[in-house]
Amino acid sequence: MSSIDSIKDALFARVAVSDSPREFLRAPELRTLASEIKNIPNDQKAAYGKSLNEFKQELTSRIEAREAELADAAVISIDVTAPWGVNESRPELLSTTIGSEHPISTELDRIVDIFTRMGFDAHESRQLDDDWNMFGALNFPEGHPARDGYDTFRTEEGFIPPAHTSTMQNRVLKSGRKKLEAGGQIASISYGRVFRNEDVDATHEHTFYQCEGVFVSKDASLAQMLGTLRAFFEEYYGQKLAIKTQPGYFPFVEPGLEFMIEKPASIGGKPGDWLEMLGCGMIHPNVLRAADIDPEKYRGFAWGGGVERMIMLKYGIEDLRHFESGKLAFLRKFA
Amino acid sequence: MIISVNWLKKYTDIDISIDELTELIGSRLVEIEEVIDLGKKYEGVVIAKVVECAPLEGSDHLNVTKIDDGGVVEGVERDENSYVQVVCGAPNVRAGLTVAWLPPKSVVPETYGKDEFTLDARKLRGVMSNGMLASAKELDLWDDHEGIMELEDERKAGESFAAAYELDDYLLDIENKSLTHRPDTFGIIGFAREVAGIMGKQFTTLPRMLPGGVRWPEKVGDLLTPKVTIDNPELSSRYQAVVLANVDSKIPLAPLEIQTYLARVGVRPHSAVVDVTNYMMMISGQPLHAFDYDKLKAVNDGEIDIHVRAGREGEKLVLLDEREIELSTNDIVIANGDTPVALAGAMGGRDTEIDENTTTVLLESASFNLYNLRNTQMRHGIFSEAITRFTKGQPAELTTPVLAGAVDLLRIAASAELVSDVADAYPVQQKSADVCVTQSTINDVLGSDFGMEEITNTLLNVGFDVDVESPYTIVAKAPYWRTDIHIPEDIIEEIGRLNGFDNIKPVLAARDFTAVSPSDFDKTRTLMRRTLTRAGANEVLTYSFVHGDLLKKAGQDLENSYRIVNSISPDLQYYRQSVLPSLLNLVHANIKSGYDEFALYELNKAHVKSDGLDDAGLPIERDFLAFVVASKKPHGASAFYEAKNYLEYLAQQLGVDMQFKPAFENPKSANARPFELRRSAAVIAGEEVLGIVGEFKRSVMSSFKLPEHTAGFVVSSSMLAKLSNDAQSVYTPLSRYPSVERDICFQVNADVDYEKLQAAAQGILDGLDVATEIKPVDIYAPDTSEYKNVTLRIKFTSYTKTLVSEEVAEFVRAVEESAKTSVNAKIV
Repeated sequence: MSSIDSIKDALFARVAVSDSPREFLRAPELRTLASEIKNIPNDQKAAYGKSLNEFKQELTSRIEAREAELADAAVISIDVTAPWGVNESRPELLSTTIGSEHPISTELDRIVDIFTRMGFDAHESRQLDDDWNMFGALNFPEGHPARDGYDTFRTEEGFIPPAHTSTMQNRVLKSGRKKLEAGGQIASISYGRVFRNEDVDATHEHTFYQCEGVFVSKDASLAQMLGTLRAFFEEYYGQKLAIKTQPGYFPFVEPGLEFMIEKPASIGGKPGDWLEMLGCGMIHPNVLRAADIDPEKYRGFAWGGGVERMIMLKYGIEDLRHFESGKLAFLRKFA
Repeated sequence: MIISVNWLKKYTDIDISIDELTELIGSRLVEIEEVIDLGKKYEGVVIAKVVECAPLEGSDHLNVTKIDDGGVVEGVERDENSYVQVVCGAPNVRAGLTVAWLPPKSVVPETYGKDEFTLDARKLRGVMSNGMLASAKELDLWDDHEGIMELEDERKAGESFAAAYELDDYLLDIENKSLTHRPDTFGIIGFAREVAGIMGKQFTTLPRMLPGGVRWPEKVGDLLTPKVTIDNPELSSRYQAVVLANVDSKIPLAPLEIQTYLARVGVRPHSAVVDVTNYMMMISGQPLHAFDYDKLKAVNDGEIDIHVRAGREGEKLVLLDEREIELSTNDIVIANGDTPVALAGAMGGRDTEIDENTTTVLLESASFNLYNLRNTQMRHGIFSEAITRFTKGQPAELTTPVLAGAVDLLRIAASAELVSDVADAYPVQQKSADVCVTQSTINDVLGSDFGMEEITNTLLNVGFDVDVESPYTIVAKAPYWRTDIHIPEDIIEEIGRLNGFDNIKPVLAARDFTAVSPSDFDKTRTLMRRTLTRAGANEVLTYSFVHGDLLKKAGQDLENSYRIVNSISPDLQYYRQSVLPSLLNLVHANIKSGYDEFALYELNKAHVKSDGLDDAGLPIERDFLAFVVASKKPHGASAFYEAKNYLEYLAQQLGVDMQFKPAFENPKSANARPFELRRSAAVIAGEEVLGIVGEFKRSVMSSFKLPEHTAGFVVSSSMLAKLSNDAQSVYTPLSRYPSVERDICFQVNADVDYEKLQAAAQGILDGLDVATEIKPVDIYAPDTSEYKNVTLRIKFTSYTKTLVSEEVAEFVRAVEESAKTSVNAKIV
């Protein structure tokens, strides 16, 4: 034992100043210590072996630390104000032909563009929010079973990664209240990233994008909602579209609907093929109240739906996981 | 949830085709995921009588039977009596039985739609057998290993099996999430009522289901009413119980009709009592529970003293499935005396379970707090048909009619006798909602044009009472099963939905002509994206959540990340503090995939705990632009300058004036952690630090397996957007006179910053009355030299005249002088 201790400190000291510390893994002292084991009494052999191993491990980590130190010392400072380094040539940008925007960004730009032309302002949604914006402000009472459908993540502090872009609704309604009371309308879309605690496969993701809209006025109606949504999709697909609905249940709207369009010919649709695009409905009075808007005086409609599916249908993308994969093989298809 | 169309037909007439029906249900009630044609499964199955049955010689279990199918099946070999010979191995086969016969060419229903098995006529031990006699298992009804299915004697030979048991049915697989608020539709009766409503027909609710409609049979004997108490009315709005004796458990099962209906919706037969309670639940939505009365008494010294109460800390209960659970104060338990005997709404207890010796049962019909049950469901992982219905919130008024229905059925099906009065703990009477609404409100909200009669009839059809208050105002009184009706919007939904939202004509809202634009931030972000894409970079989107290892690899502190507590995967454990490490994580994989050089960027958000909370108490959320450029082989310039070149190009396109200063330690900055500060620059605009550009620490390089030539930057995209929006667009008119260019080569000390030299030149040029532009041409130093030669190209443009050589030479001399004085430059 004592021989390990005596060798240890000396060896460590030499490693600490060595320019080639890895050599110490083959130090003759190690071999000596190893051969020593035959002279150790049987009942102490195990303990000796153990401390020898510990010593070797510490030596290895000290060698690695010294190597990192050497690598670090080898780093040469540069003149950060220069256009390039001494004896170097002018840096070049990569070829413009390989650059690409992410298809989700491109599509969101297009969605925002159509809605702004229709008179809606647009905001990106938050990526970390609270229970109030996720549920409370949207007429989901505490402990309500409808909360289960959203498979929300939670942080230690109880914050919630939004599971729908409707987390923006209370903010949008509150900030638009003055405009509404001055005789105007609230017309706004929120878009962004949402999160669900789901297993990932070709058609399920824990991270995806949604786009959400609200419209509030003195005389908003369900007929206007259907008209607005149809107008959006007709502009998006550049053709007349048949629409239909299905009753849906979302605590923040009453009535609530699922909105479908007949699959457009431009993406290979045939008559009778229907696509479920989004959920929608007349904003529940409790949701207006939560934003201090008097539901006796004003009414509104809201809708929200996923973005990836529209893109997948448009390009024929087969796997949802490609979007966040960061694979150039995928990204450069959009160059 | 599976809905049988034939079952619906028992409660309402359906005279439209299945396609029309499903279309109507889809658009006015609920999404149908699948329509299953059950009749196809039983095509060809015929009811037959076993006329003769004799053991097959040489077999210890096979019998040769002659069956009478009424001669309906064509193309089979028949004897002189027109009987068909079938060999059967079931132990219960005997002459006189009425059976289901699968003739040759029919498909065994159990295999239908899977690996289909088609029967034929073939010899078994030399004896011809035509098809087979079927067991309940082969008929895909339920698992029964006892033998062939024994049908009622009164069934006629030759009758279609499917028709006899109404299995010529369609099953609708319903997406029941959208019915979360409609407990009534979780029973066939409630669903049928809606189907009538959407067809525009009046639904007739059975008198027994209406308030006050129950007639209890005379009780036999003088058993006292069981004592039941709801200890906390918050937990249970009603608890009813009756005792039934002489339950003949020797009658193993309820009538076949009940069994076949239960089987098609996925409920297997159990015993007469359980089958009846299941049947009542399926038609009404109200679950029931049956206790073995004697076992129940035994847990409380022979007394019945039922309490509905909260579970207690440390209390335990063994459930029917033999699982021992620890109760929580959120669970609701049924206790006799002090002993818990059932987990209310979820599952009965093992110790009071009914079995083949049970003669007396206590039947419970109750309603429980759905929030508690939801909690129980999650905690104990119980997802039964009963709890699914209870968690929708079944109304207190429903318990009586369903209990009465079960008593009636058990008297028939199990020859049971009612031996007690009905115990009824009902602390607070359920109130029905009266909702006042006007015709104009309905039409304004929907954008429709419904008349008063249409409105009234729509509601009457589905069991509402309607009082007409004034010519244009009604008070709609919701039936007790409509616990979802509270406000005018709920009535408006009924009117729109039952008449079809799709019949409402879409219109556009009126708007003024104010132009709306994307926000300044969105506009600039689009410009950043265009610019970087034009410069050959690829935009990526990566997850907001990262593995703890990624944070460590980037040199970031785990404690500074918001942590997800219920993640399904360690990959999603933390919020990222910076977007850049996610990009570094993609470099190696893309190089391995054969991409030798590339630039990636992402515009996204990040959260750092140390940033604290905003005014709304939410974590500060910041927007960043992260960028990384990597190449397998070295380039002409160090990676740092490549990344910086991208940033400068971007700055120029955004009209932002950017400076680069040597990076400095900012311990709070999660963004700067991976950067090697000796080869990085702080990105500065005016007073503000926008971010950092540079190469990465050796440790970061090795842990992310980055190639030597890798650098990147991360800047605040919101600050960049603001600067870009504030920027004035600068345009200088073209000069009519030619420009003159001069190259000057300065020799300076190796440690003189390029910026200092340029500033020395710029200082002079700014004072001239001609326009000038400096471009670097070359930076050269011989090996081991203490000097470097920097060549600058200066362009002079006059707006008033053609410059002559002497004038330009004078300018150049002034620049040279300035450089000599300020950075001790020599002119080479």
